Amino acid sequence: MATAPQLPTTGPRWALSPFYFNSASHLLRIGPEKATTLMELLEAIRTCPESSIFQHTFQTLAEHHFISSGFSNDFSHWAFASCNEVELAERLAAIDVREFTSIATLRERLIHIMESYLQKNPRAATRVAMEPFYLMASDLVVVPTPYVARNLEEFADGLRKVSIHAIYYHFIDARLRLKLNSNDFSVWLEKELDLPQAADKVNRIDIYTSTLEEVRRNILKVIEIEMGRV
Amino acid sequence: MKEKNPGKMVMVDDSGKAGELKPESQRETNVAQSLPKGTATAPSAPGVERRFRQTDLPAHFIERRKNPRISTKQPPVPAPPRFEDYGPIIGKPELDEIRFLARHLRGKTVKMVNSTAVGGGVAEILNRLIPLMNELEVPTRWDVITGGNDFFEVTKGFHNALHGGDYNLTQQIKDIFMAYSEQNRKRMEFDEELIVIHDPQPVGLVRSKSPKHGKWIWRCHIDLSNPHSAVWEFLKPLVEQYDATVFSTAAFTRQLANPQYLFYPSIDPLSEKNKELPEEYINKVCDDFGIDRSRPVITQISRFDRLKDPVGVVESYKLVKKYVDCQLVLAGGGATDDPEGAVVLQEVMEAAGDDPDVIVLNLPPWSALEINALQRASTVIVQKSLKEGFGLTVTEGLWKEKPVVAGAVGGITSQIVHKLTGVLVHSVEGCAYQIRYLLTHPEFAAQLGKNGKAHAKENFLVTVGLKRWLVLFQILLGMARPNAVL
Repeated sequence: MATAPQLPTTGPRWALSPFYFNSASHLLRIGPEKATTLMELLEAIRTCPESSIFQHTFQTLAEHHFISSGFSNDFSHWAFASCNEVELAERLAAIDVREFTSIATLRERLIHIMESYLQKNPRAATRVAMEPFYLMASDLVVVPTPYVARNLEEFADGLRKVSIHAIYYHFIDARLRLKLNSNDFSVWLEKELDLPQAADKVNRIDIYTSTLEEVRRNILKVIEIEMGRV
Repeated sequence: MKEKNPGKMVMVDDSGKAGELKPESQRETNVAQSLPKGTATAPSAPGVERRFRQTDLPAHFIERRKNPRISTKQPPVPAPPRFEDYGPIIGKPELDEIRFLARHLRGKTVKMVNSTAVGGGVAEILNRLIPLMNELEVPTRWDVITGGNDFFEVTKGFHNALHGGDYNLTQQIKDIFMAYSEQNRKRMEFDEELIVIHDPQPVGLVRSKSPKHGKWIWRCHIDLSNPHSAVWEFLKPLVEQYDATVFSTAAFTRQLANPQYLFYPSIDPLSEKNKELPEEYINKVCDDFGIDRSRPVITQISRFDRLKDPVGVVESYKLVKKYVDCQLVLAGGGATDDPEGAVVLQEVMEAAGDDPDVIVLNLPPWSALEINALQRASTVIVQKSLKEGFGLTVTEGLWKEKPVVAGAVGGITSQIVHKLTGVLVHSVEGCAYQIRYLLTHPEFAAQLGKNGKAHAKENFLVTVGLKRWLVLFQILLGMARPNAVL
C-alpha cells in the first residue's frame, strides 16, 4: 500500500486520494436458460439473472475488446448471425451500455426493442435459429495491480503499464459501480486533480469505434496534453 | 527408437536431397513406401498412386505430391516452457495478474485426477498446466486411476453412450464401474484443498468427498448434450455431489444442481504445433509435400472423418478453382489405425480425382511441427465441420493470424465471430464463396487474421486457462467474492 505523500507546494498537482489501478478476471458461468427462437430469447432476457445481462452486454465488450467496429453485444450478434434479422440486430447494436447505470434499466431497453420488433414481425418470433443462444453469467474477481498514481505523471505511467483488463475495469465496468454516466478515470481526474475538462474528454471516448488499446492511447493523449507535453 | 514398420529406407539428408544413407535412427522414410500395396490408407502408396491430369506444374511438385516426404521418426518431446516464457506473448501486466492470483493461493494444495498419463487431449493439457501451477507455488499433484480391462471397456462404452450411442447398461456394468471406483478411492488419498476430477472415468471418486474438507470440481471434456439416458441417470447423482462442474462449451452441458463454469479448451502458443517457425523450415515442409508457395494455399487439418466433411471441402475448392488458381491441402491422421478413416480417405481421393492441386496427406501423430508449418504456409484455413465440440484447429489457425472459414456448428460459433474474427459457413457453396472472397480481398483477410489472433490470445491460450483455474479456486475457497453486478 502506498503511504500518504508529502504534498509539495510547487510542481505538479497532487491528489489527496491516490488512484489505485485494479484489474479484473472473470469466469463464465453457464446459465440454465437457452433460446432457440427470438421469442425464447425475449423470455430469457425477461427472467435471467442480472449477471447474465451484464455478461452479454458489458462483459462481452471486454472479451472482444480488440474489435473496433461491428461488435456491440451478444444479443445483437445472435440476431444477425443466427437469426438473420438484420434490422433487429442493428437496433440492439445501437444500445450503448455506457448510458446505463443499472442492469434493470438496460434489461428494460432490451425487452422494449425485442417486443416492438416482434410485434411488427411476428413470424420472426418463432423461427428457429441456426444455433441456440446459451445464456451465461459472469463472475468477476478484482485483481489489484502494483500501480498507484498521485499525480498526472504517475497516472500516465500506470495507464501505460496495466493490462487491457484494467482499462476495461475502470473505464467500462465502473459505470455500474459508480451509478454514474462516468468512469473511474474521469471521476478521479475531476475530483482529485480538478481537471473537469480532461475528465469530460476521457469520458467521451467512444468504446464502440475503438479497441481498448485505442481507448488507452486516447486517454493518454488527453493526459499528455494536460501535462503540457503535446 | 526402431519403428514398428520402417519399410524401405530412402536416402535423404536433412534438406531432402539424395545422399548417403544415414544410421537407421536418423533416417526419414516415405510412409507411402512402408505401407502394403493397395491399401487405401496411403494416398501415394504403390497401387493406389494418384494419376494426375496433364499440368504445367514443374516435375518436382508432381513428384512430391505423389511421394510426399513424411517423417516416420518420432521427435523427442521438448521440455515444457517456464511461466516466464509466456511474457513476450501475453505481456508483463498479464503475467503479473496471474502471479497475483496464484500468490493468494500459495500453499493451497491441488490434486488433478484423470484416467491416463499419456495420450489423449486431457493428458496433454495436464502436462502443460500442472508444471505451471507448481512453478507458481500452487502445489499440484497429478494422479491417474487404475483399472482392469473390464473397467476400461465399461468406461469406453460410457464414453460412446454419453455421446449419444446405443448402450445396454446392465447391473453388472454398474457393479464393475463402482467396484473400480471404490478400489481407486481406497488406494488414493484426498487431503488436498482442491480436487479436480477429469471426465467420467474417475467421477465416482467424489464419494471420498468430506463435508468438512476440500472442494471438488468435475471437469468434463466431453459432449453431454445428447447422452444415453440410462448411463447419464446412473452418473448424474455422482456429478451432482461436486461443488462445481466445468465444461468446454455451453452446448455440452446438462441441467445440474451445482454451478457450471465454461472453460474454453486452450492451445499452448509455445508448443510444437503453435510456436513461431523459421521461414526456411516452412519452405522445407512445403517442399517435402510439393506445395507451391507462389500460389494460394487453402488448408484443412483434421482427421479423415465424415463429421469434418473433407469431401465437402474438396467440392468447395472445385468451385473456388473456377475463379482463382489455388491449391488445396487436406492433412490429417486417423486413416491408418481407424477403418472408417481409411474409407473416408478413399472418398476424399475419389473426390479429388486427377486434380494435381489437391494435396492429400495422411500424417502420423508426431507431425506437430509439420502441421504448424502447413498452417503457416496457408492463405486460408478451413474447418468445415458438420459437428464439432470445440475446433482446436480453428484456434490454431486464428493464433497464426490466418483467415479461417469454418462450419457454424458447436463451439466454433464461440471461436469465430462471423466476419470479425473469421467466417462461418453452412454449405459447400457458402464455404466456396467465402474462400473466393478472402482470396480476392487480402486486406479483409488480413484484418480477420489480426482480429482472430487477438481473439485467440484473449480467450483460448493456456495462460488464460491457468488464470481461469486460479480464479475458480479462489471463488470456491471463499478467498475471492465475485463482484456483485449491481
